[in-house]
Amino acid sequence: MDAKKERSVSRFREEIDTYEPVLEVLALEPGEMGHLQIPLLKNMLQKHKRIIECVETGEPFMASQFTNPVEILAAMDIPWYFHVEQQFAAAGTGGSPHTMEDLEAMDKIGVPSDCCTLLRLLLYYQVAGLLPIPTAYLALTEPCDSVAGLHAAFMNHPDWRNVPAYTPDPPYHSDERSINYFAGELKRMVEFITKHMGKTLDMNRLKAAVEETNKGYALWMDYNDIRRAVPAPHSYIMPMSCFYLINTMGAGDPAQTEWYKDLITDAEMRMRENKPEVPDQKIRIFWYDLQPMFFGELVPWLEQEWGGVIAMDMVSYCPYQLVDTSTEDSIFRGLARRAFEDGPMVHQARGLADNVIHDITRIVKDYKIDCVVFPGHMGHKDMQASISLMRETCRDLGVAFLHLGIDICDKRYTSVEDIKGKFSQFFTAMGLG
Amino acid sequence: MQTDMKSSAFQQFAEAADTIVNPEVKKWKDGGGKVMGYFCTAMPTEMITAAGFLPFRMRATGSTETELSDSFFSSLNCSFPRHAFNMALKGEYDFIDGLVIFNSCDHIRRVYDHWIRQIGTPFVKILSLPRKSEQPQVEWFRDELSTLREAMHEHFGVEITDDRLREAIALHNKSRRMLRDMYELRKSDSPPITGAEMLAVTVAGTTMPQERYNQLLGELSDDIRERSGQSGFRARLMVIGGELDNPEYIKVIEGQGGLVVTDAVCFGSRMIWKDVEEDADDPLRALAQYYIIDRPACARMYTEYPRRLDFIKNLIKDFNVDGVIFQRLTFCELWGFEQYSLTNDFKELDVPLLCLDREYTMSGVGQLRTRVQAFLETMGR
Ligand code: SF4
Ligand code: SF4
Repeated sequence: MDAKKERSVSRFREEIDTYEPVLEVLALEPGEMGHLQIPLLKNMLQKHKRIIECVETGEPFMASQFTNPVEILAAMDIPWYFHVEQQFAAAGTGGSPHTMEDLEAMDKIGVPSDCCTLLRLLLYYQVAGLLPIPTAYLALTEPCDSVAGLHAAFMNHPDWRNVPAYTPDPPYHSDERSINYFAGELKRMVEFITKHMGKTLDMNRLKAAVEETNKGYALWMDYNDIRRAVPAPHSYIMPMSCFYLINTMGAGDPAQTEWYKDLITDAEMRMRENKPEVPDQKIRIFWYDLQPMFFGELVPWLEQEWGGVIAMDMVSYCPYQLVDTSTEDSIFRGLARRAFEDGPMVHQARGLADNVIHDITRIVKDYKIDCVVFPGHMGHKDMQASISLMRETCRDLGVAFLHLGIDICDKRYTSVEDIKGKFSQFFTAMGLG
Repeated sequence: MQTDMKSSAFQQFAEAADTIVNPEVKKWKDGGGKVMGYFCTAMPTEMITAAGFLPFRMRATGSTETELSDSFFSSLNCSFPRHAFNMALKGEYDFIDGLVIFNSCDHIRRVYDHWIRQIGTPFVKILSLPRKSEQPQVEWFRDELSTLREAMHEHFGVEITDDRLREAIALHNKSRRMLRDMYELRKSDSPPITGAEMLAVTVAGTTMPQERYNQLLGELSDDIRERSGQSGFRARLMVIGGELDNPEYIKVIEGQGGLVVTDAVCFGSRMIWKDVEEDADDPLRALAQYYIIDRPACARMYTEYPRRLDFIKNLIKDFNVDGVIFQRLTFCELWGFEQYSLTNDFKELDVPLLCLDREYTMSGVGQLRTRVQAFLETMGR
């Protein structure tokens, strides 16, 4: 491999080197949660290895985004990677060793600092040659301006300019016409993949993949029902992995469905035996945003210091509707609805602010929430303009509301210590905990 | 704005750009006419004209505070919607009978959410504007326009017939052609109109009945043909970016000795550079085709960066531009990422680029002067 290609997979290789020994230890001593952690890590590393193999051998592969239906990619047998994965993996695993150096280098590339850091960071990865250049790319323009702006810039990079790209265009409404329009966009996406990857879509395989992910989503919904229990069965990592597993790790694999079953079994056992992963829970928090990359520094403190548990959050809330697999049309329409209406971030931020009011109301009631925390990631400008509605909704519901003001990728914006201070002040003032 | 022009046309344009309710709006309202507000260049104003309404593009001219809208928007939101919504909360937009908003950007689309809850405008509609410029998007947008036509019919009882649409398209095309003719004159060595004056003229066109506008444009056109051109300026400049409706901003730039000879901004060339097809069987589709594909796109159309860059490059060549000023309202992510791409691409052009962040109101004038001065100096002017 030439140096450029080698660099493009260097972060994948590092993660493999870091997590393979962890896997070995977990296999020997799985501890309480090992049986749930092992499949997640294995899956992530397998995906990394597959992309490295493609880069090494020249086999075509794609890059894609979390809203583009993975079932289609799985049914068409396309190797692919999710290019914001580095950030999300960092969040799930407690931060990447490169975070600070990446942020400092990112500051120098010239995107105004008021633009979303998650995407500035992604652009930096591209500039730094840390993203494998795919054969074709499935982009995304929802739910915010930053995503659309980023992609315009992204596809202008000299190394990516000639990579064919397709982006399904999300409508702003949610009616039948919108679903049909987006289903059409997905069908054109399949044509695009066929043209550039030389693979056709077998509808039977797509049906099978969707039926399998339907099972996963149904189990995830069951799991979320269990999470209504007080005390909450789990801390934040397992719930948030529900989204990651189904959206970035391929689809249609029964092993994934098994993982959800194991998760539910574990949650039920904890409820039965009154052994929640977080002991002494006192405050049930609804974290209404993405998880920051430094969540690992914050949540254990919340749990230990205040008995605060993330009872629900934006990423693991599961408003997904199952896909009707009876006809080709119903499959595409179902995938369309899921892609542009249901996913995290997209669900909250794509359409009218009514979504915000509806979600907060529903979650506060269903999950016996004591306080709604709006972290207020600096990139979410539509959400910044919805704070008054969040506050009003919480007031009507009689639940405490905290707006933090953070950058989910960059703790230089608001430090973890400052965030902790805000929490302590707030809990004290509200008489929580 | 002081002027040496013979007719009163320019004065009327300048007044319209400098106020919200200008005399033409007042006359229109006094005569029982209806006004439809809209927020973005993507609005097919031809439809509003065809309905017999006055299309009025929302601005926040004259606003100095956001004391009321601060309860609804955060300090991380773009200052344009914050000021515009503040004016609405103060009742300064009570004269509009309806409002059409698009999901233009994350800030503007939330104006819709707050407007329907806080302001009593009887007709408010949000339309879904695609993010890419291909044929399925034209069809989608055509259907959106059709729903607007039906909603206006239902609410106001107006018929937007195809024939009326064709007439309105011809009328708006006429304005575009007259404005392009004025831009054409600016290609000369001594352009007869300054950049600040030109912006006042284009902004005024978004605030008055189109027939009256065309009449005044005719008068202005005679004026500027007789006028001696600008001379003694240090450089030929071009201003690019998104929302810019304040001629004073250009005036400050020109006050440093550069002359703005052309632009690529929402209220400028991007509104007028192309015409809508006039004799189409389906004029709604013709409008959709124009607004989604044919007109020079803004930064929200993610597929169109190469075309936007070509548009800028062509203007540089055609107007013999020495330097380009990119201005962006802080917190605008669409133009923020565009700034990054442009900065990279300008490295390969022989023309310098100055990037400026600004607020909607004219704060930081001193800094603007200093930056432009320095820019002209680095250009050796
Ligand atoms: S930049 Fe585009 S979307 Fe934003 S106001 Fe201007 S025309 Fe509308
Ligand atoms: S300048 Fe940008 S953020 Fe502000 S209203 Fe226009 S598109 Fe939206």
